[in-house]
Order: sequence, then C-alpha cells, then structure tokens
Amino acid sequence: MTAAPPPLLVAEGVTRRFGARGLFTRARPVQAVTDVSLSLGRGETVGLVGESGSGKSTLGRMLLGLLPPSEGQVWFDGVDLARATPAERRVLRRRMQIVFQDPHSSLDPRRTIGAQIADGPTIHALVPPAERRAQVEALLGQVGLAPMHADRYPHEFSGGQRQRIGIARALATNPEFLVADEPVSALDVSVQAQVLALLADLRSRFGLALLFISHDLAVVRSLCDRVVVLYLGRVMESGPVAQVLEAPRHPYTQALLSAAPSLEASRRRTRILLQGDPPSPSAPPSGCVFRTRCPVAMPACAETVPALVDGVACLRVGEGGVRV
Amino acid sequence: MRLRPAPVVAVAGIALLALAVPLLPLDNPTRMDIAHRLAGPSAAHWLGQDEYGRDVLTRLLWGARVSLSVAAASSGIACLLGILLGLMGGFLRGIVEVLTVRSMDVVLCFPPLLLALLVVTLLGPGAGTLIPVLAVLYLPGFVRVVYAGVLTVRSQDYVEAVRALGAGPVRIMGRTILPNIAGPVLVQFSLAAASAVVLESGLSFLGLGVVPPAPSWGLMIGAARSTMTQSPLLLLWPCAALTLTILAMNALCDALRDAVDPHGVPPRRRGAVRLPALLPGLVPDRGSALELRNLTVAIDTPRGPIHPVRDVSLRVAPGETLAVVGESGSGKSLTGLAVLGLLPPVARIEQGAAFVEGREVLRLPEPARRSLRGGAMAMIFQDPLSSLNPVHRIGDQIAEGLTAHARTRQSAHRLRQRVVDLLTRVGIPDPAARARAYPHELSGGMRQRAMIAMAIANDPRVLIADEPTTALDVTIQAQVLTLLGDLRRERGMGVVFITHSLPVVAEIADRVAVMYAGEIVEQGPAATVFARPLHPYTSALLASAPREDGGLPDGIPGTVPLPHELPPGCAFAPRCRHRIPACDAQRPALVEAGEDHTSRCLRWRELA
Repeated sequence: MTAAPPPLLVAEGVTRRFGARGLFTRARPVQAVTDVSLSLGRGETVGLVGESGSGKSTLGRMLLGLLPPSEGQVWFDGVDLARATPAERRVLRRRMQIVFQDPHSSLDPRRTIGAQIADGPTIHALVPPAERRAQVEALLGQVGLAPMHADRYPHEFSGGQRQRIGIARALATNPEFLVADEPVSALDVSVQAQVLALLADLRSRFGLALLFISHDLAVVRSLCDRVVVLYLGRVMESGPVAQVLEAPRHPYTQALLSAAPSLEASRRRTRILLQGDPPSPSAPPSGCVFRTRCPVAMPACAETVPALVDGVACLRVGEGGVRV
Repeated sequence: MRLRPAPVVAVAGIALLALAVPLLPLDNPTRMDIAHRLAGPSAAHWLGQDEYGRDVLTRLLWGARVSLSVAAASSGIACLLGILLGLMGGFLRGIVEVLTVRSMDVVLCFPPLLLALLVVTLLGPGAGTLIPVLAVLYLPGFVRVVYAGVLTVRSQDYVEAVRALGAGPVRIMGRTILPNIAGPVLVQFSLAAASAVVLESGLSFLGLGVVPPAPSWGLMIGAARSTMTQSPLLLLWPCAALTLTILAMNALCDALRDAVDPHGVPPRRRGAVRLPALLPGLVPDRGSALELRNLTVAIDTPRGPIHPVRDVSLRVAPGETLAVVGESGSGKSLTGLAVLGLLPPVARIEQGAAFVEGREVLRLPEPARRSLRGGAMAMIFQDPLSSLNPVHRIGDQIAEGLTAHARTRQSAHRLRQRVVDLLTRVGIPDPAARARAYPHELSGGMRQRAMIAMAIANDPRVLIADEPTTALDVTIQAQVLTLLGDLRRERGMGVVFITHSLPVVAEIADRVAVMYAGEIVEQGPAATVFARPLHPYTSALLASAPREDGGLPDGIPGTVPLPHELPPGCAFAPRCRHRIPACDAQRPALVEAGEDHTSRCLRWRELA
C-alpha cells in the first residue's frame, strides 16, 4: 500500500482583511475571510458554497495567489505562494487559472477571442508563434466552438458561448488547478447545463483540481466531490457532498438547504425561515458568527467561537445531532 | 465604431487646407502694400487688404496653419504625457498615484491665464512658448480622464484574467487597458484641440502668443479691432474662420463621443401609434384580475419591425399567482412592462388588449394609465436599488405613492402612520426608524421589502413581479417569497410572477405560462405542467434544472433565436428533439390540450 499523494493545494489558517487604510478613514476593517484551512487533491472538485458576503470569491483569489492573505499560508504543490520567487511565481501562474462569473466583463471587448485565448501561451512562451493559431483552434474545438470563431469579437457571442471562451482561455496554459467563480450563475438554465457538462468533461479529461464557487447547492451537488460551506468568512461545515447536502449537521447548512426552492414536491421539507439579514462583515457578531440568525442559538454561542470539529463548527452539534 | 462622416470631412478639410498653404499660389503673408491699406475685396485680394495692405486671405490661411499646429502640438503632447501618467497612477496606485494624479490637482489650482503670463514673461512670447504652456494647461484633463478610465477598466474581470495568465504590468497597461480607454481619450483630445485653438487666439490677441508680423487669427482680430470703424469686414474674416473651425471640431467631438459610447444614441420616440379599436364582440372575463389577449409588441428596426412578444394571452384570477417562466430573450419582461404601459421608447404595442377587472387598459390615455399604475396595478422589479430613488427616504417614497392616488388630502401624521403600517406589514423591523432611511442604508432583502410595501400601498388588484428574488440570496429569497404569498392570499391580489427559475415556480405558482422566443408555448396549472409537460421546450427546461439526485442535468443544445432571425415554423424546432418536417412548415397554433392546459406543439398528443 502506498501513502496517499500529497494534496496539490493546501491553505492553512487563511485570513483576509480589507480597508481601514488611509489617513482620514476610520472605518473598521472588513474581515472577508477568517481562519480558513482547506486542501485540494489532484483531480478533485471542491464546492465552495455561501451567500453574498461570505468571502468565497476572496478565498478563491487568495488560493490563486491573486490576492495575498493577511494571515495564514497557501501552498501550491509544496511552494508557499507568499515566499515564491518571481521565477517560481511565473511558473505557478501557468499552472493555475480562473473562470469568471460574468461572461460580459470577463472578455476584453476590443480584442478577438483568438488573441485572448493565445495570451497565456504567448506570455509563457509555451507554443511557437507558428503553432499558436492551431492551438487556439484546437482549444475552441474542445469547448464546443468552431475554429472560425477565433477571429470574432466577444460581443458576437451569447453568454454561454462567452463562458466557453473563458474556459478555453483558462485551459490554454494547461493548468492543474482551476478556480471557477460562479461560472454558471449568469447563464440561462438550458445553457447552464451545457457549461456544467463541459466543466465535468474537461475535469476528468485533464485531471484538473477544481474549486467550484457557487451559491447554488443543486449545482454543487451535480459537480463536486467535497463541499465547504462559508458564512461571513468562516467555514460552517465541510465534508463529502453526499454527507453535507443529504445530512447537514450545521444549522446554517440545514437552513440553506431548506431555503432553496425545489422542483420536487417530496423534497420540499418544512422550511426553516431564517430571520433577518446576514450581519455586516465589518461588525461580525461575537462568538459564532451565525448565532444572530440561528434558530438553536444559546447564550454560550455568543462567547466562544466554535472550532471546526469533524467538519462542523457548531457548539450544539454534539447534542445528539441538532435538527431544527 | 461608426462615425458620422460630415464633421470628419469638415475637420479634415480644414487641416488639409492648413497643411497645403505653402503649396498654394499665395502671396507672402508679411508683404506690405501701404498704398492699399484697408482696401476692400477685389479680384486680386478676395477678402481685401489689412491695415498694412497685406492680403487678408493669405494671412487667414497662414494663420490657420499657426493656430492649428499650436493646438495639435500642445494637445498631442498633453495627451501622450497624460496617458503615461494616468495609466501609471491608476494601475500602480500607491505613491505613484500621489505623484502623478495628485500633482495634477496642483496644476488645476493655478489660474491658467496667470500661468501663461508667467511663462511668457520668462521665456518671451511666440508659438514655441505657447505649445508647452498649453500642453501643461491641458495635461490635468488627460491625466484625469485616463486615470478614471483605468480605475473602471482595472476592476473588470478580463484584466484580472490576464493577470491570472501571468501578464506583467506593462503588458496589461499597454495591451489590455489602453485600448479600452482609447474612446474617452480620443474625445478628450478633440475637446482639448478645439479649446487650444481658442486659447491660442486669445493669448495672441493679448500679445502673449504669436509675435507680429507672423500671421495668427488672434493677432488679426487684435489688429482689426483698432480699425473697426473704418473697415469692419476685417474683423469678420478671422472671427468667421475661428468660429467655423471650432464648430467643426466640436461637431467632431460629438460624433466621436456618440461613436465611442457603447449604448449608442437612443432613438427618438415616434408619434404615438394608435392601436386598432377593440372588436365589438370582445367581452372581457369578469372574474379575472388581469386578462391579456393576443398581445404583440413590436420594435421598429432599419430592417423592418421585429416582434419580441407575439400573440401572448394570459389570465390571472384574484388571489392567484401566475408564473411567467422563460429564459433571457423570451419576452417575459416586455410582456409585463407592456401591460403597465412602461415599454421602453423603442418598443410599441402592435396589437392586443389587456383588461384589469374588466376594464381595457392598453387604449387608455396616459393620465388614466398613470393613475392605474401604483393604483390598481403595481410592479416590483429585480433590482430594488435601481428602482428606488437614492436621494429620497424610503418612507417619503412610499408616502408619495399614497398621496398620488389619494382622493382626499391626508394629514401628515395619518400618512406617516400608514407608511409605518405598510413597513410593518412587509416585515421590516423597527419600521418607524427605517422609514427615515435612504435606500443605500438598507440591505438587498430590506430594499425589496420596501419596494413591495410601495407596490401594495394602494391595494392593487394586480401585482406584476419581474424577477423579484433573482438578485437575493436563497435565505432572503425564501423570506420574500413567503411574504409575497401571504400578501396575495390576504389581499386577494392577482400576481404575475415573472422568473427564469423553475424551482421558484414550483414553489409559488398556481398556474404557469412558459414563454419561448416571444410566445407562450405552454400554459396550464403549475402542478399539471410540471408533472405532464405537453411541450418539448417545457420538458427540456425541466431536464435542465440542476438535479437533486446529484446527476448532471441535460442542457438544451443551441441558443434562443433572436427576434430578427426567427425560424419560419416552430421557434423551438431547431433545438427540439421531437422535430419533424411539419414543424418547419408553419408556426404551430396554441391548442387546447386538456382542461385549462394549452400547448403550441404539433406533436403534443404523442408527448402526453
């Protein structure tokens, strides 16, 4: 028996604060992500789930090294992103890529899509100039577009097609790790399914490690191996998809699941209606950040920050499975 | 980018003329002929002679050369420097931003005339001095335009994407950011050049610019002023040249701005198109809160009218929720807007009728429709932040709706009480305090609740909700859906709920109308339609929704056809799995396929 291979990506206690700089601003810093640890193996897909303001996009950018963490570390294939030399960083850039949510702002309106797809290989001198065109055409084929599309401009494409182009651009450098930041949220359902199928296909074909950021639990269920649920920058629950989404243990995950509308009447469980809005990330509640909306909160929740034990960060989870 | 040709031709003509001056058979602009001073126009001197007997036409053309070259050189230098400083300041931020952008604010604080005087005193007058002075004056404008452009563009995902690809700052600034801010910079350039022509003339007029006897429009105006009583025409020529040049350049600015603006120029609304009168036999169904019959919306394009909504008929009973579901481009929002008379200016209703509690509303004159909106009919939108007025308090906006529809004047106290009651009803905590809040001070969910309070203020019979929960998080969406359901039951409103989300429809709708490419393809009770869809598009849409068993959903190949390239037969045929040749022959009609269940498919019997 061989030991399990080391994970491709490891994040340890990652925290990110924004703002509160400048001479005249006395605003509190916004803590977008607090003390998140996670790892991602080669070929594995992890879903990052949370509502707006949960810090999921910020976390994704930190894992890619596009945003330095305020605290904590991120290792990619054993290299600490913060300590990488410029040469190492160049190589790392090639090995990890991102696909964006908004198919309209993610492509440069002034350049042909062929030129944009060729950007990565050009920057990293991966393909000789004479073969670039052929590579672009091959990539377009892989995402279901025609070679002639290379000479067109982004506005000539529909949202779904633009998302495919964004995926082709990300794949052009042969990455090992891909962050997909809400890649289907802006698309119509019929097109959403096409793009999800494409991502699933490419993932298995290239052995991509995929971090799939989404607010839609149903979409995560169809694509991911593991899922991490964020609330106000903290991990509430994490674990295999089947376990977290079928038998959620954290009250927030339970509420989130029950709030999602469902096509199947049998699935429409009694709805846990959370009261109020998520608190502002600049003034998070003391103790457990979810306690202000939690249906089972108790006084102790205001005092201690629950640690993530066995994939759940809740003080009451030990009490024989809290079910609200 | 399409540019109007006339201003380009005019400016290019003026510039070419100035460039070609040395080649033209003209006199020396400084050759004097004192004997004929102030002589009027003649065959040899078309525009006459000036106070030294010099040919006015020659001086005018040579003056154009000076004016335009000073303007072009100074704004060109300012433009290049401005792009450099603005790009660095906006992209690198930090200390670079302070050095580049903030230092320009210092230049802006300095009175321009004082600066010109200072430099001219130091360096002596002349065209060579004018160029750097004007360049410094126009530099801050360019820096600020470029800086603002960079700040907008750098937050776009495509900039982040090239960063993720490993591009360095120089490549990002030059290849990605610069082309995307070229438009506004070009406009700024034409503005600066036009204003430089004026300023050059002004400074020369004051004796701070071009030195006599060299010709310049400003000098000519200055000189003509002293002989104004004897020869007023002399004043006319340089002034006319200056005015025409500036007009041409300003027209070019406008044309550039229009060409660069991605939104284009909004077309003017054409005269009101009268709808054909109602057929005499058409009797509305008295029991419906809203009944829409055969609504067709047209948009006139240069290639003829297109029809984004065709032949749509709907019926909503009081206390019932009808979901109109469809993907983008299905015409669902336009249908809602048409009923309320809120269509964008480009669109018009071509045909159809809408009855609100038995009263036809599409043919009502605008004042009557206005009293209907926010009265018997109300609408809520997807984005409450853009549909609430940001500068008025929430309470005042709700009160405004109450007063506009009130028959009698209400006391301020009574009005305030009603606003607080409404806010309480929609579940806003601490309503008295929140009534005094501005929209930006509320969260997305609270804003949508405030919008709903505004919509139900006058107890509407019909509420049209256009994607009211799409922008909200699921936990908030659940709250808002519950609230809407409660209000509908409590007040007996008919609700038209426009959405793209099938699960939401399944949760809230009594009846559902599925729209595709501008027409209704299936309509019926929600439970029946979901359990036994009778149109292939409905089935395909249901199969596209994320599945609860974890499997990947099936997509629908292809995309929704655009309204100007609709297929001849069934609009869904090109993407349909059940397509047969007959589908392409003609557009299928909406047929009664069961109890209160219609389908626009030729093969519905086989699907059932």
